[in-house]
Amino acid sequence: MTARVLPLGEGAWTVTLGERLDAGLHAQVTALAEAVRSAQLPGVLDIVPAYVALTVFFDPLKADAERLRERLASLAAGKLPALPPEAGRLHRIPVRYNGPDLDPVAERTGLPRDEVIARHAAPEYRVYLLGFSPGFAYLGDLDSALVLPRRSAPRARVPAGAVAIAGPQTGIYPAATPGGWHLIGSTEVRPFDPSREPAALFRPGDRVRFEPVP
Amino acid sequence: MIEIARAPGFLTVQDLGWPVGRSWGLPRGGAMDPGALARANLLAGNPAGAAALEWALGTGTVRFHHGTTFALTGAGGEALLDRRPVRPFMTLSAGPATVLELRPGAEERFLYLAFRGGLDIPELLGSRSTYLPAELGGLSGRRLHAGDRIGLLTAAGRPPSDGSHAPAERRDPDAPMRVTRGPQWDGFTDEARRTFLGGEYTVATASDRMGYRLEGPAVPPRAEASLPSEAACPGAIQVPDGGQPIVLMPDGPTVGGYAKLAVVIAADLPRLAQCAPGRVVRFREVTAAEARGAFAAERAALAALEAQLAA
Repeated sequence: MTARVLPLGEGAWTVTLGERLDAGLHAQVTALAEAVRSAQLPGVLDIVPAYVALTVFFDPLKADAERLRERLASLAAGKLPALPPEAGRLHRIPVRYNGPDLDPVAERTGLPRDEVIARHAAPEYRVYLLGFSPGFAYLGDLDSALVLPRRSAPRARVPAGAVAIAGPQTGIYPAATPGGWHLIGSTEVRPFDPSREPAALFRPGDRVRFEPVP
Repeated sequence: MIEIARAPGFLTVQDLGWPVGRSWGLPRGGAMDPGALARANLLAGNPAGAAALEWALGTGTVRFHHGTTFALTGAGGEALLDRRPVRPFMTLSAGPATVLELRPGAEERFLYLAFRGGLDIPELLGSRSTYLPAELGGLSGRRLHAGDRIGLLTAAGRPPSDGSHAPAERRDPDAPMRVTRGPQWDGFTDEARRTFLGGEYTVATASDRMGYRLEGPAVPPRAEASLPSEAACPGAIQVPDGGQPIVLMPDGPTVGGYAKLAVVIAADLPRLAQCAPGRVVRFREVTAAEARGAFAAERAALAALEAQLAA
């Protein structure tokens, strides 16, 4: 699919590289984000990579919107150097697998509790994008045996540091916000800490491993 | 120093929001009506983006511990300084130990109160705004209540003279909201798009700083409403299954998986933000060039006001 570049309001362009999520396509998205960042295009404020698309936010009074669009289209059409898999940082996250939904997940998937834990902790996950809450990283891909729809009734408040799953994804809630994912564990790691540099721990393209601790 | 003697239902510290942060899930945030906040600041002798109070949902009282210049923007209500009426969109002076009572009218949802120097609140990642969903920024990440005291930063230069006024932005309350096509515009049928552009939508009570739900003729997308999540922005009109549009506001999520039919232009989003639940709104499509032109015109109006007040 040729990249499409479409406006998102007067201050952003969304470059769509594909329609269905796959890790290879996402690698192209992160490569494009890096190319846009290095190009230091005038007026660009924020570059937001997602699953199959990249959105570039700009100040309409500091950037020539049409020129920027052309540059983005040409970068997307060009050969993007694939970033090597080690390009992102690897984060090791200690997890206490003691979440209130761990047993319900075990029951719904038909797996013993220990196997839910083992299957969750086995993969090296990819950070696909950040959103929902500052620092919240969507990690994939979850073992297909653990895939469940989100909770039908979200919780009004989940604890900060809660490790959760929903659909083919997993993540760590950065703050005590409402949440609809299944809580299977907890970690002391804070994906978002405004007093830390950088405030947000994860970046798209980073890798994450969960390590069970007692 | 100012003290909240009696707080309205929804009072937060806001400025013009976080200039960057979308890439890690921090929305732009800031004032729901940035033009009104900027004008209040300029009239109070501040830079346009100083921290001020965003006031909504009812009446309240502010006590001035020492004399200072201040201004408020908003319309249709009453403001009494030591029981004497004072006007919005005007540079005002409060003496020490004076009391300002605000009784907003039904016309606008959000008023802005700016004090000379700006509110002395620590900056967080480049802004003093309050992002309530994650309890970040502003005064301890929360709404203000009675008893809260906030200092004012020291101001440079001279404030505008008392009585300086700014024209309220010329806003036609019945004019349609201008929109440009969203990235998923093609994912809607002609009929759905015509329905949206011709329809009357009521702002629902379920409308807040994250987004405004609209009730009216359904505009279902062609295929399923959800796609792989991608960046959204304030003004984006999301259409979930069921076809009832939701307009994202400054605290709205930075990414989402619902189809985005259109985007309210930045120059008109504050006017929509000021619509109370029950108001009926309509939409009109404009070109990107018109949207950028309106954006530039608003920036120019603020620059002109700043120059006028400095003269």
